[in-house]
Amino acid sequence: MAMHRKRIPPVLWLGLVPLSFLSLVMLAPLLRIGVEAVTGASGATGAMVADLWREDYLRWRIIWSFVQAGATCIAALVLAVPVAWVLARFRFAGRGLLLRLLMLPFVVPTLVAAMGVLALWGPHGLVSGWFGIHLQDTPWLLLYGNLFFNLCLVVRAGVDALGHVSAARVAAARTLGASPWRVFWRVEWPAIVPWLASALCLVFLYCLSGFGLALVLGGQRYATAEVEIYTLVAHELQLAQAGVLTVCMALLTALVALAYAWIEQHLAIPGRPDAIALRRPASWRQWAAVGGAVLVLGVFCGAPLLAIAVRAVQAGAPAWATVLEDDSLQAVGNTLRFTAAALVLAVVLGVTHALAARRSVWLRAAAFLPFVVSPVAVAFGLLLLYPQWTASLWILVAAYALLAYPFVAQSLGAALDQLPLHLTQAARTLGATPWRLFWRVTLPLVLPSLRRGMAFAAATALGEFAVTLFLSRPEWTTLTTLIYERLGRPGAGNRDAALVLAALLMLLALLAFLLIDNPGRRDGTRTRLVAGAAHA
Amino acid sequence: MLELRAIRKTFDDNAGGHWLLADGLDLVVAAGQTVAVLGPSGSGKSTLLKIIAGLEAQDGGQVLFDGDDLAGVPTERRRFALMFQDFALFPHLNVLDNVAFGLVEQGRGRAAARAQALDLLGVFGLHKHARQKVWKLSGGEQQRVALARALITAPRLLLLDEPFSALDAQLRASLRSEFSERIAAAGIATVLVTHDEGEARAMAQQGFRLDQGRLSRIW
Repeated sequence: MAMHRKRIPPVLWLGLVPLSFLSLVMLAPLLRIGVEAVTGASGATGAMVADLWREDYLRWRIIWSFVQAGATCIAALVLAVPVAWVLARFRFAGRGLLLRLLMLPFVVPTLVAAMGVLALWGPHGLVSGWFGIHLQDTPWLLLYGNLFFNLCLVVRAGVDALGHVSAARVAAARTLGASPWRVFWRVEWPAIVPWLASALCLVFLYCLSGFGLALVLGGQRYATAEVEIYTLVAHELQLAQAGVLTVCMALLTALVALAYAWIEQHLAIPGRPDAIALRRPASWRQWAAVGGAVLVLGVFCGAPLLAIAVRAVQAGAPAWATVLEDDSLQAVGNTLRFTAAALVLAVVLGVTHALAARRSVWLRAAAFLPFVVSPVAVAFGLLLLYPQWTASLWILVAAYALLAYPFVAQSLGAALDQLPLHLTQAARTLGATPWRLFWRVTLPLVLPSLRRGMAFAAATALGEFAVTLFLSRPEWTTLTTLIYERLGRPGAGNRDAALVLAALLMLLALLAFLLIDNPGRRDGTRTRLVAGAAHA
Repeated sequence: MLELRAIRKTFDDNAGGHWLLADGLDLVVAAGQTVAVLGPSGSGKSTLLKIIAGLEAQDGGQVLFDGDDLAGVPTERRRFALMFQDFALFPHLNVLDNVAFGLVEQGRGRAAARAQALDLLGVFGLHKHARQKVWKLSGGEQQRVALARALITAPRLLLLDEPFSALDAQLRASLRSEFSERIAAAGIATVLVTHDEGEARAMAQQGFRLDQGRLSRIW
């Protein structure tokens, strides 16, 4: 009699590769910070936490970190829901392009976004030039930067959610006497709330653990706790205090991450057999709604990028000549080299993680960890844990790969989930061994998603800033650190050079994304948006 | 000859209980014979086919072919062709490469496999669709491609899982007789799973009902 014992599927062993990597490059460094916080403090850790809270300056940093994240969530919700509704319900020229452009902030490096915001709203920005007003040293600059990144994320979540609202339920509500407005509140809104809550948790996490925007746009008064950790480590060498602050922020972040995980777990994604059909706007009000949606996206997501382009052109030939200077060429070379190395590592980690995660819920959740952990904390932990290797390039590449590989794992994992079981079973019955099955059926079908994940991973590595600032050595200067360095020098020439370098970085990120993602190839495979972006 | 001996299969349901799918099933399908298994949705008909194909493991019992116990023989080495309800054609391959897929897996060169697939497509009246993507074909054409793909490797056993359920009534009737003729011409032992008794009687020499985990003979 054939008896079949349960055994660990071989593919699950692949999970050891990413788990070992996560343990060495993320978990162990975070634990090391915890040890530093406990043992490095001159007094008891509890007393240090109390001191941290008693000190007005640090208390303000923590409170402001949460306030700016919360305010961004509220503003993103208010702006995104109407925009998402318009995009999900109306068919108009350019709608498809607009939906694709919503991905743009995921590709834009943080420092480029910060430069864009400054080019628009800074003291020497376009708005200042036209109207004489600027937002420097106000909280609005950081909030605007946060919205640039996160509004698109919430809009996309809203469009996806509204696409899953049942047309039959909406029709039933209308026949029962509900006006379109009442239908929205009583049928559509309850259906999309879990999706929005999930997206807003992510937004909150990104704003909380964000570094680049807060460093450049926050200024002295509105910088966040992440910036403070960097200052304590890099400028004041207060490692114990930085450790306590990092642990406090990590614990608070973990609470939000748990809320996000809970929502995601309970987020039912039904099929869409009766999705509501798109319709052309039929009245001036509906056209106005479309115009309003385009305007909101233009103001918050398009304007900073346009501002960079305009200011870079205005900067003129002397500023563009900096691109050919030795340090710029070295930075471009380093950026491309580090990105290529990180991408290779990210693909290995992402593919093994995605394949193994099909058999384990825990592994699936683990692929999300690098999205929510603060890059500043990771870099700080790496410095503490591996001081002997801080001069070695692998630690920088490993940190890059840590931040980039979840994009590959998530994108590939979603594609593997959507792969019809019958196709793989059919291939097996036709004689394909597991390896041949992977090579001839699975890989060709998931390749578009793998490339999409790689494109995001490359964009993340190209624009990486926080980790580079912590770990980089002078000879490892990348475009992001060079831009920051130029920003820190006085004079309009340096400011213009930073703008030009930001434009160059933007072009590189777009180019890498387009080359890898290969938009010319479309086979109808719908990939779910990998939530997450290089907000560090 | 296919022989199932005392096949047992249970599934765990979400409430923590067990659901008996097969409770000591016995079945014999002789060479060249078509046997139909009827039963309502959820009765375990498709699972039975997957157990035969080696895609699902049984909890107990034996699957034998020509007297050999197939325990431990992986799906790809059983040489049983399974035709799925939704055809399971590979969307990234064209019609020709879908049909040639199994031959390539058997080690045939790609050019030779394609040539043979092209010949078979001619027999099935699909010659002109050879270079098309499968999702551009009609339901009936996709069905024929799926059968051609299943038959081209000369399998020892053909397993048909609700082969006509995705088609409209008119097409179903015409394809049913076409399939019967082609399968008879190939002389392959066949297990047909369906919920449509008329379809089963038209195609199979023997019919069984699967209910509560047991098979009872109808004709």
